[in-house]
Amino acid sequence: MIYIKRIFTVIMFTLGLAGLLIGSSYIFLPKSNGLNSGIEEFKANGILGEKENSIDVLFIGDSETYSAFIPLQLWQEKGYTSYNCGTSGQTLDYTEVMLERTFEKQSPKVIVLETNAIYRKFTVKNVLFTKVADYFSVLRYHNRWKTMKLDEINKPAEYTFTDECKGYRLKTLAKPAVKDNSYMSPTDKILPVEKINRQSVEKIKKLCDENGAKLIFVSTPSTKNWNYMRHNGIAALAKDLECEYIDLNLLTSEVPVDWKSDTVDKGDHMNYFGAKKVTSFLAEYLENTALLTDKRGNPDYENWDKALDAFNKMLSEQHI
Amino acid sequence: MFSITTYFSAEALLLLLVTVVLYACLPQKARRYVLLLSSYIFFFSISGKLLAFLLFSTLSVHHIGLWLSTVQNECSISTKGLERDKRKALNAVYQKKQRRIMTFACILHIGLLVLLKYTPFFSQNINALLGLLGLQFRIPVPKFLIPIGISFYTLQAVAYLFDVYRKKIPADKNLLRLALFMSFFPQLMEGPICRYSDTAEALYEAPKMRYDNFVLGAQRILFGVMKKLVIADRLNLLIQNVYGEPTKYDGFVIALSAVGYTFQLYADFSGTMDLVIGAAQMFGINLPENFKRPFFSTTISEFWKRWHITLGTWFKDYIFFPVSMSKPMKKLTTKARKKLGNHYGPLIAGSVSLFCVWFCNGLWHGAGWNYIFFGMYHFLLILSGNITEPVVVKITQKLKINRSAFPYRCVQIIRTFILVCFGEMFFRQESLKLGFKMFGKIFTDFTLKTLKDGSFFKFGLDRHDYLIIIVSAALLFIIGILQEKGICIRSSIAKKNIAVQFAIFYALILFIIIFGAYGAGYVPLDPIYAGF
Amino acid sequence: MDERLLEILEDINPEVDFESCTTLIDDHLLDSLSIISLVAEIEEEFDITIPTVEIIPENFNSAEKLWEMITRLAEED
Repeated sequence: MIYIKRIFTVIMFTLGLAGLLIGSSYIFLPKSNGLNSGIEEFKANGILGEKENSIDVLFIGDSETYSAFIPLQLWQEKGYTSYNCGTSGQTLDYTEVMLERTFEKQSPKVIVLETNAIYRKFTVKNVLFTKVADYFSVLRYHNRWKTMKLDEINKPAEYTFTDECKGYRLKTLAKPAVKDNSYMSPTDKILPVEKINRQSVEKIKKLCDENGAKLIFVSTPSTKNWNYMRHNGIAALAKDLECEYIDLNLLTSEVPVDWKSDTVDKGDHMNYFGAKKVTSFLAEYLENTALLTDKRGNPDYENWDKALDAFNKMLSEQHI
Repeated sequence: MFSITTYFSAEALLLLLVTVVLYACLPQKARRYVLLLSSYIFFFSISGKLLAFLLFSTLSVHHIGLWLSTVQNECSISTKGLERDKRKALNAVYQKKQRRIMTFACILHIGLLVLLKYTPFFSQNINALLGLLGLQFRIPVPKFLIPIGISFYTLQAVAYLFDVYRKKIPADKNLLRLALFMSFFPQLMEGPICRYSDTAEALYEAPKMRYDNFVLGAQRILFGVMKKLVIADRLNLLIQNVYGEPTKYDGFVIALSAVGYTFQLYADFSGTMDLVIGAAQMFGINLPENFKRPFFSTTISEFWKRWHITLGTWFKDYIFFPVSMSKPMKKLTTKARKKLGNHYGPLIAGSVSLFCVWFCNGLWHGAGWNYIFFGMYHFLLILSGNITEPVVVKITQKLKINRSAFPYRCVQIIRTFILVCFGEMFFRQESLKLGFKMFGKIFTDFTLKTLKDGSFFKFGLDRHDYLIIIVSAALLFIIGILQEKGICIRSSIAKKNIAVQFAIFYALILFIIIFGAYGAGYVPLDPIYAGF
Repeated sequence: MDERLLEILEDINPEVDFESCTTLIDDHLLDSLSIISLVAEIEEEFDITIPTVEIIPENFNSAEKLWEMITRLAEED
């Protein structure tokens, strides 16, 4: 009898706690998705503010991603709508979260996964935290106690913010790389993808398939992060999952990166000039897939022209 | 895959949970093995193969204990029925033999600790000395991996052997009981440093799990997590900036972060102790307390009876009294008493022992000059307190000041706190030179400029952070006052009805979840004492 | 109880009533220095040796306990 009572107490306690967490999660959920809204990675999460079913291409990965793909250039050259969901140090468990969020409102046809994120280490613990934080978002947004206003608490969440550069982060500084193209000297060695990372990529692939999106792996040029062993590892993974894989580090004639002027931090990330080359190549590539339509001139997409004008103005202010 | 770095991690929590469930379900005989297995898993997940060191120490302690006991038995058998003179002579022979065994044991256990922990420090300093002498010769500076908790379990091992040697406890034949005593996982990493007579029997008995113990333990664990996540980890944002580049900050910021560090250290260490003692309580094991509201101390010497208590009593029992009660010291005391009177007479021997205690205390915390300085700082403070004591008594009597009155005690408490903060500042700052620079800046560069122009709130902590730290500090202060008055808060909560109990649990959990410094933008503080 | 012991104790701390007090250590009426002094004095006065193992609160908390220890050690010797 006493045991039944104890078990009942424990169950009651757990239920009450879960209720409290759900309640406080509702209170702490950011009510908008802009700069000071308290949402994490507001630039990448600007995709939540894009018009429904308006995005055709999604770039996702870590800081390599938001440094190398320029959605508005893609619009200018080919008229494809895209968004860059790269975040600093993104691990695949967060990639999954971002994709799930995106598919709720968008139906992109192409997902470009930058491969540096595939190698980025994360643990079961990270995954667990991410999963639990999906249900009890107070764990993710608890810091909002600093900025929250009382009248916000009961407001429904309305995500209308979208980033002016569609998630791309403009950097124009140039610091030459120490290594030259020799960083890609061929080898048969393979750097294997960790089991937990592989499982996550498999899940991402499945998610894309279910939502009718084509998943492409792209390695952006980086003397610091990329080498042939990694290339081999991703190539093998791409083969297993029947994905396309483009390694821009090897396409030196198609994407002629000048390591003196095209990197912002000695070969780690692309700057604007490098990103321009990468995006141009990708624009051609996407055209060849024949999956996408040119939306320039479509009145529903007028705001993309406005965004492009603003972007060009930003560039001219930086004398580019 | 399964690796633990701190008690405040999901892995450690998982291990505790699994152990609790197994412990609750299994019969008594299996429970002790569950505890031992969890302890070894815990050790292995931090230090891996270095587990061999712990196993070696356990076996060696077991063996040497029995060896001592054999000698003691032989002694009592062979001296039985002898005349006084003969008995005394024979006793002395056996005593000598025991002493040799103890010397061997100390060299073995403390030697291992010294070898692993201090050789890099010693060899670096010897090299520096050789350089000063203009010699080219250098000795190599080795770098060892240090098994987790070795500073703690070595002290437990040595205490056990001394207690057997002094016949305070009989040597334990049961290897399992000794192994449990040496390795019990909640206290393995940061103490409290237990005596064999405190915990060994209870661990071996592995008492039945009780609901009330479980609830009380859980409460205490939550309270500890609160101290760590809300206070210690949040303060880290400021502390690591200021101590990293102290020259960038003015005296006010440095003074504040010195106070902040003392508070952080308290929150981290006493929070860990709450977690440790709470976890042990879940199994029905009572560990000795390590903290008793240290910031209410009126003197430095009292402070050390309230802060890291088990280390202090260890030094008292195994260094202070053995040194001051050694034959030459006793002679010195007797002579000095006749000439210098009752206060200053024993002070000479006392000071020699005190020096030994504080030198070892400083060194125990780590191989570094900052720690030795820290030890000497407290030695001098306590010594000067002892020297001036009679003078202070006379002066206050003449001025008709009541030394036990509240205002006088308040002044004493504040003074002690400031002295402690200075000590901890040198303790935290690895470079002694920078430590002195910080000390100087507090007096030469003290300005409230940054507070006025608001840049103060950009050094890592903003207004909201300070607010939550002050609120938490006030909470600890109120709880501290209640405990000083002898009110046991946890058991009075446990007597309330279930709704109130739930509410308190919920409030504490929500407080931790909302105001804890975890997630994006926060770097948790590494466990400080596990590094010692 | 031995008068000599009480004399020694009163000599060390005249403010305490040693005949009735049973919390000399627990209430910090005898600090470490007093204990050093006390041990030296007792050893000389009663011609015994107090080993370190005997220096525990239980033996020093009251004059009575002290006296028990002294007589025990004198017999053992």
